[in-house]
Amino acid sequence: MNDAPQERELVTGTMRGQDHMNMTAQRFEQIVTAYGSEAARWPAQEREAALHFLKESLAAQSLVEGYRELDALLDAMPVPALAQMEQRVMRSLREKTRDSFLDKVLDWLIPRQQRGMAWAWRPALVACLPLVCGIYMANFYSFGIDSVENSWQEELYLISMNDYAEITE
Amino acid sequence: MTDDEVLMRAIQAGDSHAYNSAVRQHIKPLSHYAFRMLGNSKDTEDIVQETLLRLWTHAQSWKPDKAGVSTWLHRIAHNLCIDYLRKDKSSVSSELSEDLESSDKPAQAPEREERLEALREALNALPERQRSAIILSHYQGFSNREIAEVMGITVDALESILARARRGLRAQLSE
Repeated sequence: MNDAPQERELVTGTMRGQDHMNMTAQRFEQIVTAYGSEAARWPAQEREAALHFLKESLAAQSLVEGYRELDALLDAMPVPALAQMEQRVMRSLREKTRDSFLDKVLDWLIPRQQRGMAWAWRPALVACLPLVCGIYMANFYSFGIDSVENSWQEELYLISMNDYAEITE
Repeated sequence: MTDDEVLMRAIQAGDSHAYNSAVRQHIKPLSHYAFRMLGNSKDTEDIVQETLLRLWTHAQSWKPDKAGVSTWLHRIAHNLCIDYLRKDKSSVSSELSEDLESSDKPAQAPEREERLEALREALNALPERQRSAIILSHYQGFSNREIAEVMGITVDALESILARARRGLRAQLSE
């Protein structure tokens, strides 16, 4: 599989300044050596010019022919069926990315649709939850203060405890 | 907004359904790429799992203007494979010939089978980056720019790597 004669001819072509739609022999050789014999794999922006060059140049056709066997062999090399492995990976990923109970509670409180600064304010909100609960419970149970009607008696009692000495002076 | 952007925004927002959908979409090309790089299903499983886990944990680092999701995931897989191969070269083994399921294994003439075996050996003997470039170019259907993005190199450098790889393969096959 020696392609030296083709290469020589291609280089000669370049030196003569042969090109077809801005495709030089040197560039064509670079394309085929890098991307192989199938035009579908050639760079899209140069494909048309390269195909035109291929049509016109025998050396180019010979170069492409030299890489055809390699491409055919690469095409024929299969991979095994990996379906079971893929199922295992998907199962494992589902377990690893499953939301924790705390995440579910947080999502119920504040859906994660607009995350933004969520990394900061979501934990802050969680930290505030006990405070909110405390205020609610204090308001609900009143902790021994039975009703508003008794409060004037308490006020009188507190006034009677004051020291009026400073005021009278 | 592209489909990739819609999907990734949902994943970034913690939508596990979107994540599962992305996993289903990308697992096959990724596992084929990793298998061709590593040659055995056990290591392939580890690399694919890690790559797709990063789709969840590192979703915020995907930039829509830089690369498509597939390119981005292949870049992760490429880096993981290269790291893996450099750490433990001896573990590169080939299950290609033994573990093919009968339905997937095309009937080959003995001579053809020999040529395929020679190619398999030649591919395994290539330096990791050359092997990756050939796989991305020949099997994964990426454009030259996308492959350059996956490998973190310029298109010129990619063409040089691909040319060396193809010349190497041809030389090995002609021996």
